[in-house]
Amino acid sequence: MKVNDLEKLKSEGIENLPSEERRRFLRFGLAVTGVFLGGSVLSLTSTRNAQGAMGPVPPAGKFPYKPHYTMVIRQNRCIDCERCMEACTKTNNVASYGYRTTILEQEIDLGRGEKGRMFMPVLCNHCNRPPCVRVCPTTATFKNKENGIVMMDYDRCIGCKTCMAACPYNARYFKEENRAIDKCNFCFDTRISKGESKTACAAACPAGVRIFGDLTNYDDEAYQLIHTPEKVVWVLRPETGAMPNVFYMND
Amino acid sequence: MNNIIASVMPQEGGLAASPSRSYNAIITVGGLLAAVGLAAGLHAMLIGHEHAYGVTREVPWGLLIAAYVFFVVTSTGLCLVSAIGHVFGVEAFKPIAKRSVFLAIITIIAGFFVIAFEIENPWRMPIYNMLSPNPTSNIWWMGTLYGAYLFFMVVEFALLQLEKHKVAGIFGLLGLVAGIAAHSNLGAVFGLLGGREFWHGPYMPIYFITSAMMSGCAAVIFFHWVGYKANGWKMSEKLEASLCSTAKLGATLIAVIMFFTTWKMISGISGQPPGKYEAMMSLINGPYAVNFWVGEVMLGMVVPFILILSARAKNLPVLFSASVSGIIGIFFMRYDLVVVGQIVPHFHGMGINELPHLFTYTPSLHEIMITVGAVGLTVMGFLMGERLFRGHLSEDH
Amino acid sequence: MKRNNKDIFLIFGLLALACVLFAGQVYGEEEYDEEAYGPLKPIVWAKPVKGVVFLHKTHTMGAGLECDSCHNGEMFEMAAGTAEENDDFTMASLYEGKYCGSCHDGETAFSSKTRCATCHVGVKGYNRLTGVVLHDAEGGNH
Ligand code: HEC
Ligand code: HEC
Ligand code: HEC
Repeated sequence: MKVNDLEKLKSEGIENLPSEERRRFLRFGLAVTGVFLGGSVLSLTSTRNAQGAMGPVPPAGKFPYKPHYTMVIRQNRCIDCERCMEACTKTNNVASYGYRTTILEQEIDLGRGEKGRMFMPVLCNHCNRPPCVRVCPTTATFKNKENGIVMMDYDRCIGCKTCMAACPYNARYFKEENRAIDKCNFCFDTRISKGESKTACAAACPAGVRIFGDLTNYDDEAYQLIHTPEKVVWVLRPETGAMPNVFYMND
Repeated sequence: MNNIIASVMPQEGGLAASPSRSYNAIITVGGLLAAVGLAAGLHAMLIGHEHAYGVTREVPWGLLIAAYVFFVVTSTGLCLVSAIGHVFGVEAFKPIAKRSVFLAIITIIAGFFVIAFEIENPWRMPIYNMLSPNPTSNIWWMGTLYGAYLFFMVVEFALLQLEKHKVAGIFGLLGLVAGIAAHSNLGAVFGLLGGREFWHGPYMPIYFITSAMMSGCAAVIFFHWVGYKANGWKMSEKLEASLCSTAKLGATLIAVIMFFTTWKMISGISGQPPGKYEAMMSLINGPYAVNFWVGEVMLGMVVPFILILSARAKNLPVLFSASVSGIIGIFFMRYDLVVVGQIVPHFHGMGINELPHLFTYTPSLHEIMITVGAVGLTVMGFLMGERLFRGHLSEDH
Repeated sequence: MKRNNKDIFLIFGLLALACVLFAGQVYGEEEYDEEAYGPLKPIVWAKPVKGVVFLHKTHTMGAGLECDSCHNGEMFEMAAGTAEENDDFTMASLYEGKYCGSCHDGETAFSSKTRCATCHVGVKGYNRLTGVVLHDAEGGNH
């Protein structure tokens, strides 16, 4: 290698490295010093997410699911067009008086006394420690051992509604037609088990809000999104200890 | 079989129940109410709870769960108080044992009556409780243990009738253990829900058992007094003394509950813990303030406590009034406990526009009729029991 | 007696002051002149997605834009609901600098790639506005 070439290399900077390598580089720098080697100081949140273990995203291998289904919600992109809800209702035959997913309108503080608006899609969080599954007397709701989806066996549901009381996310309702609780199952029966790669809501979203993915696949968009070093990733109601698998971020 | 039944049902001896028309009339009214409740429950099942009940997706548990908790609290309490005498052998509590065991059975049946209509598919419960049990579920434990409890109590009662007090004591103990386990599991049904700040924590199971004792004392006094008054019987001195002891125990437990409630409220508002604080404030000066201050605090605690103290736990009519006030207050306690635990929205404090500060719940007619039906069932069972078992007198006592 | 009179004066004085202030307020609201600033009534589109809102007020009165910066024969017609009939009334066009994107490009005004929920009020906002629109229109006609 000639000196000229070396110079050229240097001037490329880390911005031009392929993203995978860049992330590794950043994480390395953070892990060692907490400070980006290039000199700029990063905020605490970035450090936390880069290291993963301390953030809401469980480290790889902590849970046995493979694929470990997840959904990443890029919340600030949501425009409440509600196409996800329509698609969900159609695909999963959701009752008119219920929903499996919905959009909430959140008032946010933009600072300097200004108020802004954000829409917040919510659905079953397919928690790693699902309170609903723990409380079900007849295991009518259970966590799929392979992929971690929280599912229902309608026939076993006695309709005691304890899971509804236990769910921190209001993700369940009783569907009279089934005589059982109905809830999001990441379209497992209607799409995923049939080879589709996205849930109905994710497929219908025109704004790229809902990214359905697999936490064990490092090339997966969802995985990469929540492992972007600079990004803050959060979950809803972390204090309940349910360890949700639906992650929120702004893009 | 016929022999057993014959020997369990005394034909003579004991006290003859009043044959009066009004006595019969009250039994009939109780039966009618129970029938109306049954009809309401079946109708709700038919048209769907969605249309019949006031509960919602947000507040899935309402009056029926509260009524269920109320009845099983009373049952467990009756079992606990009766056990003091005939399981642990405390003389002062022996005379009340038999009637209490019988009423424990009646009230748990009333509780099951309510829960059968609260649950959407009750018929699936026994099947899948066996086929696919979930040992981490408090509901599973509670259901199973209360099943066992009912069994033990029925056997115990039969043995008491047969004057087999030793064996009865063993079943009484089994019933007691099952009852306590079941009831604290019912507390844990609420207490272990991490997403519901108002309920969450070890407080619920402890509180449930303590308040069961309190309810038990109130129910013992209530039913004994009514049983004797309605039939025009005269209480033996022993029984009167026994009821006075019960009242003293009751007053002590009221004091404990007052203490618990005070600290529950203080811990719920100091530092304004998110989720819990809103619920507490709904009781202190929000939509449930009347329930709390008038129902729970006045009727449930202050009035019975003062009545018992002022009568020095002696004057039976006063103790009876205290028990009536207490029972009504306890119903409010159950109702508030169940409903207030759910009214704080899941995403509280996140600035969600469409969420109210608190959810609301109003019982529907169906729910009220079923609850009244269960009360009717209890009245009917109680009065028929007085007649059938001739005042629940027992030679041993 | 005398003191009472004084009190009455005081009260009248305060009332008068309140009237002046109140009138000022009303005047302040009336100041929005539809002739000068375009219709007050929010324009809400339902296609291709429900719930995008445009307010003349923030653009003309607020940002000081002239009518012909938008009504120039190319960008927007002076008739609500015209643009949404076009197939290219999409974000892609906005990003190319058409429609709102001619200003909302991050230079003239905030970029259409950000603050999505500022223009998008969603189905919720749409339902609310189609209710509120009537009310606002009444307000404008005073
Ligand atoms: C920032 C861009 C912009 C500016 C500046 C602007 N308008 Fe508009 N105007 C619009 C848009 C967008 C529409 C709706 C067109 C559509 O739906 O296709 C519209 C519609 C209208 C309409 C029809 C409303 C209806 O209900 O049918 C009128 C009238 C109008 N504008 C008047 C004005 C006047 C007067 C001014 C100057 C004071 C003005 N506009 C300035 C963007 C603008
Ligand atoms: C002629 C330029 C121009 C066009 C065209 C234009 N805007 Fe704007 N818009 C502005 C300016 C300037 C502002 C104020 C500065 C800022 O907030 O960045 C603004 C602000 C806004 C705001 C924020 C108002 C607030 O409350 O802060 C919204 C919403 C908005 N525009 C929507 C639209 C929509 C929707 C369209 C297309 C129908 C559109 N604008 C077209 C120039 C334009
Ligand atoms: C300056 C205002 C403005 C902003 C900011 C804006 N949009 Fe839009 N958007 C529009 C308008 C105008 C339309 C077309 C009218 C309609 O669909 O009702 C539209 C339509 C859309 C559509 C449906 C058409 C299509 O392109 O598929 C999507 C999806 C969309 N926007 C997403 C977004 C997202 C995501 C963001 C934030 C990154 C965003 N918008 C920010 C104004 C805006």
